[in-house]
Amino acid sequence: MSQPEPAGIDPRGPRFTAGITAVLLLVVAVLGFGGADLAAWLLLAALAALFAWGAFAGVRRHPFGLLFKRFVRPRLSPPDELEDPRPPTFAQGVGFAVTVVGVLLGAIGLPLAVPIAASLAFVAAFLNAVFGYCLGCQLYLLLVRARVIPRT
Amino acid sequence: MDWSAALIAAVALPAAAAAIGLAWKSRAGRVRTVRSAGRTGDEAAAPTTADASRGLGVATEAFGESATLVQFSTAYCSRCPATARELASIAHDYVGVRHVEVDLTHRPDIADRFRVLQTPTTLILDARGATTARIAGVPRSNEVRDRLDELTGRTRVPA
Repeated sequence: MSQPEPAGIDPRGPRFTAGITAVLLLVVAVLGFGGADLAAWLLLAALAALFAWGAFAGVRRHPFGLLFKRFVRPRLSPPDELEDPRPPTFAQGVGFAVTVVGVLLGAIGLPLAVPIAASLAFVAAFLNAVFGYCLGCQLYLLLVRARVIPRT
Repeated sequence: MDWSAALIAAVALPAAAAAIGLAWKSRAGRVRTVRSAGRTGDEAAAPTTADASRGLGVATEAFGESATLVQFSTAYCSRCPATARELASIAHDYVGVRHVEVDLTHRPDIADRFRVLQTPTTLILDARGATTARIAGVPRSNEVRDRLDELTGRTRVPA
């Protein structure tokens, strides 16, 4: 799990990704609380798939991350320092866990679960994009302490 | 479509998230004095360097003569590497102050003992190895320096 450190990434990439994700999650919440259940469910399902992509393929292959790399980063000055891609990748997994619960509960007839899950994920994505605070990363230590992550 | 509920969500969610972020920002990285220093109790059960060494799983030689900055990190902590560089550079400016990084990734026992809830969390130990202060989040460098000035009993030459 903590083997050779992977090459660093531009820390602004995950924040850019979090920004777009936050806007889309807010749209899900607004649609869901507004009663547009199907539209909210479909968009949340798409976002859950994006989280899964980031979590399992790595944050560097996330579509929004690639967008950042192709179109945004060339216009910025080089970053002060590079960042380990593992924390944001882990956070993508947390985002996936939260959103997929909303999608599943929505699918079995609990439409309110969709905007609630989207709201929780929105707060985390917003904090990451605006304040650079990675809530999902913080969860890692709590999982270690809960002995969910096995000691090796 | 219920437009009033939609509008409330559109306004309340960003407002709530911004409030959480600002509250977090105003607290993060502050140096908080640990009053129980020297007494027994989990967090400060370190009246001697040997105890601190055992509790942290760090060799006694790694501790500073006057003070030690103990930084708790995990492999999944995005801010920890930059914090480690900053604390190491601060420690380097003082004689008798060392910076020690403790990786909690595979040590939930240490995380429990010191009740670490987030990374980075930093403890400032005095010469005896007792915890005198605790910092949750990325430390504010000037506050760390102020504390080290007290512990090392010297005035710092402004950089």
